[in-house]
Amino acid sequence: MNILNALFSGNVLALTGAALAVILAGVGSAKGVGLVGETAAGLVSEEPESFGKVLLLQALPGTQGIYGLLTAFVILNKIGIVGGTAVELTTQQGFLFFMASLPIAIVGYLSAIAQARAAAAGIGIVAKRPEELAKAITFAAMVETYAVLALLASILMVFGIRV
Amino acid sequence: MAIVKMDKISLIGLQRDRNAIIDSLMRMGVVQIEDIDADNSENGLSDLITKSGDEEKVIQLDTQIEKIKAAIDYLSGFGTKKKGFFEAKRVVEKNELNEIIKNESDLWDIVENIDRLNEQLALLRSDENRLSNLIASLEPWENLRIPVEVTSTKYTIVAQGVVPVTADTEALENELAESAPQSYFERVNRDKDQSYISIIYHISCESAVSEILKKYGFSKVSFSGLTGTPAANIANARRQIAEIKEKRKDIQQKIREFAGSKDKLEVLHDYLEIQRDKVKVLSKMAKTDKTFILEGWLPAEKSSEVKSVISQNWECVLEIRPSQEGEDHPILLRNNPLVRPFEIITEMYSLPNSREVDPNAVMAPFYFLFFGMMVSDAGYGLVIALATGIILKKFKLQGMAHKMISLLFFGGISTFIWGALFGGWFGDVVSAVTSGKYTIPPIWFNPLDDPIRLLIWSFIFGALHIFAGMGLKAYMLIKDGKLLDVLFDIIPWYLVLIGLGMLAAGGFIAVIGKYMAIIGAGVLVLTQGRPEKNIIKRLFKGILSLYGVTGYLSDILSYSRLLALGLSTGVVATVINTMGTLFGFNIAGIIIFLVVFIIGTVFNIAINALGAYVHTSRLQYVEFFGKFYEGGGKGYEPFKIKTKYTNININDGRQSK
Repeated sequence: MNILNALFSGNVLALTGAALAVILAGVGSAKGVGLVGETAAGLVSEEPESFGKVLLLQALPGTQGIYGLLTAFVILNKIGIVGGTAVELTTQQGFLFFMASLPIAIVGYLSAIAQARAAAAGIGIVAKRPEELAKAITFAAMVETYAVLALLASILMVFGIRV
Repeated sequence: MAIVKMDKISLIGLQRDRNAIIDSLMRMGVVQIEDIDADNSENGLSDLITKSGDEEKVIQLDTQIEKIKAAIDYLSGFGTKKKGFFEAKRVVEKNELNEIIKNESDLWDIVENIDRLNEQLALLRSDENRLSNLIASLEPWENLRIPVEVTSTKYTIVAQGVVPVTADTEALENELAESAPQSYFERVNRDKDQSYISIIYHISCESAVSEILKKYGFSKVSFSGLTGTPAANIANARRQIAEIKEKRKDIQQKIREFAGSKDKLEVLHDYLEIQRDKVKVLSKMAKTDKTFILEGWLPAEKSSEVKSVISQNWECVLEIRPSQEGEDHPILLRNNPLVRPFEIITEMYSLPNSREVDPNAVMAPFYFLFFGMMVSDAGYGLVIALATGIILKKFKLQGMAHKMISLLFFGGISTFIWGALFGGWFGDVVSAVTSGKYTIPPIWFNPLDDPIRLLIWSFIFGALHIFAGMGLKAYMLIKDGKLLDVLFDIIPWYLVLIGLGMLAAGGFIAVIGKYMAIIGAGVLVLTQGRPEKNIIKRLFKGILSLYGVTGYLSDILSYSRLLALGLSTGVVATVINTMGTLFGFNIAGIIIFLVVFIIGTVFNIAINALGAYVHTSRLQYVEFFGKFYEGGGKGYEPFKIKTKYTNININDGRQSK
């Protein structure tokens, strides 16, 4: 029972949430950036001068990982693990933080991969019509909206929790 | 804010004046010559005219240009003087040009020479490769004292070959000594892959020897075409390589002697490019036996100048008329210098078509506002503005590059302002370094303390942005005389959206808002089904149109990214500062702090500036342009002198023959 109690202590739950935000969103971004990178390398092998353009596209699915880190940091800051004195959370508070981390963790993971697909397809645009880069970026940015919304939801939830 | 008015020019001139007129148009550089569809001419001339143009001449000039360019590239390899990346082109005066054209054949000699010398260099390079390979293949045999062409004597057979490095050569030697005593064995060399061996044996024991060699995986090596010992061959090859190096130096010296002509070659290159463009443009024109016809567009303010130059100098039929309603003309935008950098955002989406208004003047202030809100750090803003400001000051940038850097410069200023309002100076670096003793207070408020307040402001800015887009739509409808559409399609939405907003404010304002929204919705229900004849269908369509409110709401909610991205800059900056100050206030700690701070700040600026650019553009493209913008215009590309290396100054006002 001791282990169970420790596992469901408020601080462990809050940290689990923070960790999930970093892990899932980070893995999603890593997969996404990698996926676009593979496609980009294919184009650069033919047209080295397009490097700057495709690098821009490759960077796009990378933001979800940053959003995850951001959410984790806001949680850590709130419960005093970073900068300040650590707070002893109740189990309920811990669950609140855990739930607050879910939007960016899950949406971050999935949207990074979906965005990477759009960005990789955008490299096809750059290959055929280099002047249409802005449109390729816009398609990928459409996906990013949902990651931004999830980040917003997560952060607002974390800010709203009383400790 | 404006799309420059364009006039259509049609010109019918005499064939004998053609080149002079084209020359003159090129020097004025304001007319965009359009393709005349000879089979489908609006003048009904299709039976009389044929397309002019000289493909062969274009190809011939292109080949010449390629040749000179290749020669210039070779010469650039010998770096006579490095040209700066942003350096302005050299100006070439008419005299210099004439001099160069007069001595064109000398320059062609130089081009041919460089070409020939370069071919020799290529030959030498392949020779050198061959010799290097030969050396590499002979080196393991360097200790072999038998000339390689000797494969047998009267009673003996001589063989060289390799066995895998795994084969035991001592066992091989012993076995040979036992089974074939009339043999001589020598291991010449051994490397990580194989052993190199040489064997001499009497003919009588051939079968015994080959049996043993087979067992050890021996494979014969032959040196076809070589004579003498390997060592002698290697020495010989090395000597030849040295000679090649000498020769190459000679040739390079010879090429370098031509380096002085590089400037002249560049002028010739550009001159030929101009000639090529002149021939190329002919393919857009039509001709009869004695006349030629060209059509095109030019900015209206240049019309009188072009008209007077052409009609004073040549006999021709020249008509210049304003563009007609609904006619597509090339698009040239003209905005004041503050708005101009933001044109690049619209250009990347699509230029406005000739029936639209130029959205840049309305778009620019919002872009400025949103970019800064998304990065929102005074320190970062200063860094961006200073870096781009220095680039702008130091280099004479042109075209796209200039617009892009200026855009970032304005973005930096906006970032600085928003950062000061929100109290972000490199995140919380002051408080982090002084362990919270000092902080820079925000001028307005800190979004981290009260995110909901900033969220509401984001929605307000978003609503204003969308209203501006709808306003532009209304402006275009009024311009087209469709007043009813404005009254029924746009004003009711203003009422509904503003009314709903006021409803949220509560109190007396909410009551007014309620009625505004109801009136607006009522008008929409009654009018949105206008095209339908059937009254029930009409009402049904009207009610359905209210569903559009979700579209507007999701548009406005989309501006929450202003808050999210703004917060993310500040939080990541705080993470960097926290990481940097982990090691305390001592020498190692300060060094670590500086390293972490500088790398982290550069990274954070790059990521956030990219994010701000992408998301601000998206707000413009999807939420703002979506309300009114069609786009699809083609850029204005006048027929003018275009050169690569130099500015050829033949603008002397007179025509040349």
